[in-house]
Amino acid sequence: MNSLIKEMQALAQELLASGEVKGVFGWTKGSRWYLTPPLFIQKAEDAIKLHYDEFAINNLTSLLLDYRNSDDKIAIFVKGCDSRGILRLIQDKQVNPEKVLVIGLPCPGMVDKEAVKDQRHVHDLPLLRKCQECRYPNPVLADRTLGDVQVTKEPGVPIGITAERAIQKGVGSKGKERYQEVKEIEALSADEKYAFWQKQHEKCLRCYACRNICPACNCRECIFESDKKGWVNKAATTTDNAFFGITRAMHVAGRCVDCGECERVCPAGIPIMKINRKIMQDIDELFGTYDAGTDLEEAGPLNHFKLDDPEEFL
Amino acid sequence: MVKDNATPENLAKATTEEIKRINPLIPMKAKVTKIIEETPDVKTFYISKEENGQMVVPFHTAPGQLAMLSLPGVGEAMFSATDAPDHLQLSIKKVGTLTDELHEIVPGQTVGIRGPYGNGFPMDQIKGKNVLFIAGGIGLAPVRTAVRYCVDHRDDFAKLHLVYGSRSPADLVFQYDLFETWPAVRDFQVSVTVDRGDDNWKGNVGFVPAFLEELKPNPDNTVCIICGPPIMIKFTLGILDKLGFTAENVITTLEMRMKCGIGKCGRCNIGSCYICLDGPVFTLAEMKKMPNEY
Amino acid sequence: MKAFPKAKLQEVLKTLASKGTLYVPALVDETHRYYPYRADIQVSLEQNSAISPKEIFFPSTEKIYNFTAYGIDGDYEEILPDRTACVLFGVRSCDMQAILCMDDVFLTRGYIDEYYATRREGATIVALGCSKAGADCFCSSMGLNPVEHEGADAQLYDLGDYYGIQGRTEKGEKVVEALAVAGLLSESSAEVLVPEEFVLQVDSEGIAEKLQAMFEHSLWDQLWRKCINCGTCTYLCPTCHCFDISEKKKNQHCGVKIKCWDSCMFNEYAMMAGGHNPRPSKKEKVRQRFMHKLRYFPERYGKYQCTGCGRCIAKCPVNLEITDVINQVREAKVNG
Ligand SMILES: Cc1cc2nc3c(=O)[nH]c(=O)nc-3n(C[C@H](O)[C@H](O)[C@H](O)COP(=O)(O)OP(=O)(O)OC[C@H]3O[C@@H](n4cnc5c(N)ncnc54)[C@H](O)[C@@H]3O)c2cc1C
Ligand code: SF4
Ligand code: SF4
Ligand code: SF4
Ligand code: SF4
Ligand code: FES
Repeated sequence: MNSLIKEMQALAQELLASGEVKGVFGWTKGSRWYLTPPLFIQKAEDAIKLHYDEFAINNLTSLLLDYRNSDDKIAIFVKGCDSRGILRLIQDKQVNPEKVLVIGLPCPGMVDKEAVKDQRHVHDLPLLRKCQECRYPNPVLADRTLGDVQVTKEPGVPIGITAERAIQKGVGSKGKERYQEVKEIEALSADEKYAFWQKQHEKCLRCYACRNICPACNCRECIFESDKKGWVNKAATTTDNAFFGITRAMHVAGRCVDCGECERVCPAGIPIMKINRKIMQDIDELFGTYDAGTDLEEAGPLNHFKLDDPEEFL
Repeated sequence: MVKDNATPENLAKATTEEIKRINPLIPMKAKVTKIIEETPDVKTFYISKEENGQMVVPFHTAPGQLAMLSLPGVGEAMFSATDAPDHLQLSIKKVGTLTDELHEIVPGQTVGIRGPYGNGFPMDQIKGKNVLFIAGGIGLAPVRTAVRYCVDHRDDFAKLHLVYGSRSPADLVFQYDLFETWPAVRDFQVSVTVDRGDDNWKGNVGFVPAFLEELKPNPDNTVCIICGPPIMIKFTLGILDKLGFTAENVITTLEMRMKCGIGKCGRCNIGSCYICLDGPVFTLAEMKKMPNEY
Repeated sequence: MKAFPKAKLQEVLKTLASKGTLYVPALVDETHRYYPYRADIQVSLEQNSAISPKEIFFPSTEKIYNFTAYGIDGDYEEILPDRTACVLFGVRSCDMQAILCMDDVFLTRGYIDEYYATRREGATIVALGCSKAGADCFCSSMGLNPVEHEGADAQLYDLGDYYGIQGRTEKGEKVVEALAVAGLLSESSAEVLVPEEFVLQVDSEGIAEKLQAMFEHSLWDQLWRKCINCGTCTYLCPTCHCFDISEKKKNQHCGVKIKCWDSCMFNEYAMMAGGHNPRPSKKEKVRQRFMHKLRYFPERYGKYQCTGCGRCIAKCPVNLEITDVINQVREAKVNG
């Protein structure tokens, strides 16, 4: 891992010093041993602040939206799951591929900081569920790669210098079970489902963290931004919250890249990915397996029309 | 509010016990009694409330103070209010949701009104001095509250001078005051300019800053009250400085997004000031001490 | 000091709940916040609540009046909360201090917010001293004592197997008395447990003064870069008081005006007609938040608007930590 961090720092240093890029998004060591938050640097001498480890959970890609009107080229480090966010932004024409330099990293598998027991001393933590279910541990797109990782559009096992450790920890071990939680909800009666989601939506604070962290939520003006238009109310009531939650899910349907960031950041602990996964499962069943944000050339089943599309909703 | 002594200083110091208990967020039910079409996009609304079968002023406002006007089901916004014996006058430019709807209403319409808000112009401190008023466009609405005060208390002030400009002759607001009432007042010079004239326009053509530079008002013992679009203010302040006006003697009003009007909802702050409560009137000297974020 | 055994907590709560609404920190549907007490609720005093008690006095959404509009006629009808008494049980020092910040905003400076005041006046606050600091707590750095707060009506102390209790105000004495009458109190001389040294510490001394010269500082050019401008930090913060007033139409003729939480992180917050926004980008928004907490609020009300509760640190999606900001301000070079 240390050699990988050194490689990252050296590359960022070189890219900034040569002027090839004007800024670099990566991670840095945070205030506690279990925190590795995002970092943006613009000066070559700051490259030494970059860090990478199993706490570098943040998907940085939505931060690129702040530069969508800028002419500056920005470099960004990505894990496998993050890289799908870049594809999302490019396909949605929010990011000009000429203006980003994507640096793919091998992923050691991220661990769950919620399980920290001792803040003062480093100890082992369990692998995040999303990493157990991960099917794209390698970047689907990258201009450069480090740590012997390989770019691949296909689902697979971890590649590169952290691969052994990742596999040992269980990265991807539950890839086939990723719809299990969806099945659990599907097994409920309509009333039970309703009660379950009402309870969840009741908790929502309408902080919009889920939307703002999401690479698929990249509209220049979100409909929830403008209460003037009267589509949605600011009131954080269960009904309005549900309207928000469900609308957001439908807006990212077929475009959600399965990074799980919305669910991670939700301060109310709403299991947002359960809805997203349900939609993914339905798409798989209706149109054949499709993973959004893995292939630049493929528009995705909800983005084009084919004569043999199923017509169940018509 | 602190008893009958609601000066900004008293308000700022008022403790819980000293504050009169009303629900400040509930509007008073009032009626629009008259509507004057000032220009194609500005209308003046006379607003009174009914009390024992009579139409009376909802509340009195000091020059420069504000009122929050609402149309049930549409919205609520802050406007400068001009005080009159039995009504308040609000001159409103059509710019968005609420103001568009307001331009559709007819006399008799029920509206909600709450206030008075804000500190108002320091008329007491201006007493005995010459007053130079400068306004652009709808900016004459707040300035007019001070002009009317000076006219009503004519002997308390030395010379009065108004410099006013709008885009075109059709966009001049309060023409009845500009061309009839005020020129008839003793020692009151009214100078009007437009950006673009028309066939009938005999007055000055040009922007306010340039016109002001030509007029060369004397800064001695003079206080300037200026309101208008930011761009006009910016250039005019340069000219005022050149003419020798000090920052202490230039008074203006600031505008920020407002919701509560009572210093609670947070959004109208510039630094540690809430514009709805501590403003909207500030001297240029005070503004220079505030963060440049408006 | 008077005390009751921790084992009798349920009885204590039952006694207090019999006198009026009792709010306790509890876990419901995996959410740790203050709920009205019920016998079957899972009371949780282990650590501070994830959602602050500010929502008891300042709910995230509340109706302020009904309106009707028929042609040119219309009417307004005030909706005020009930002026009933309630007890808040287990409020930590940070949240007690936050309530004092809220009091400053909603109850002073010319106007009283009746919605806040009505709820606040009827409330008795029973504070709970901390014997263990949470992972993100730094109240001691913000000048507070985690063990007690003089603003509370009554104070609980952790005595190990017992909770010590002291009344501070008339309202607080009534709580103590009610427990005494119920035969729940005994005398204890056990030591008050205090937290060990905090993991998160900063030096906040003089930060408000230093920030006066830092509005244009280059620090702000960097701080915003990872922020996603969500409402997490401000909505979880026990001192953030910003609200929006908007309306909900029931039909063409009637509706209700609502007051709901708002945040300076949102773009609409300061946006004016015609599209001018005095704080257009993330930089100005992030600056506003920290400036308000650490400089503007102290200038206006004489205290920091951050009480070190650590909620924003715990939940910020990108770990933009106010403690780190304070450190950066401390270290920043200021010209002139
Ligand atoms: C202190 C003060 C005095 C004012 N005096 C006058 C006056 O005398 N005459 C006049 O025509 N206008 C005045 N305005 C501006 C007036 O408040 C806005 O034009 C009005 O709010 C626009 O509302 P809207 O719903 O039509 O526009 P929209 O764009 O639909 O407004 C949407 C929201 O933005 C808010 N908002 C929009 N623009 C402003 C603004 N400039 N200031 C504050 N909030 C805004 C509104 O309250 C509303 O909630 C004043 C504003 C302030 C702050
Ligand atoms: S992050 Fe959670 S609380 Fe915030 S808006 Fe999204 S669902 Fe609601
Ligand atoms: S500081 Fe963190 S919690 Fe606050 S708006 Fe920014 S990203 Fe959201
Ligand atoms: S700013 Fe953060 S730490 Fe400070 S009081 Fe608010 S939520 Fe707590
Ligand atoms: S301005 Fe921002 S930081 Fe200050 S109280 Fe409002 S939401 Fe909180
Ligand atoms: S308008 Fe609410 S604080 Fe000024």
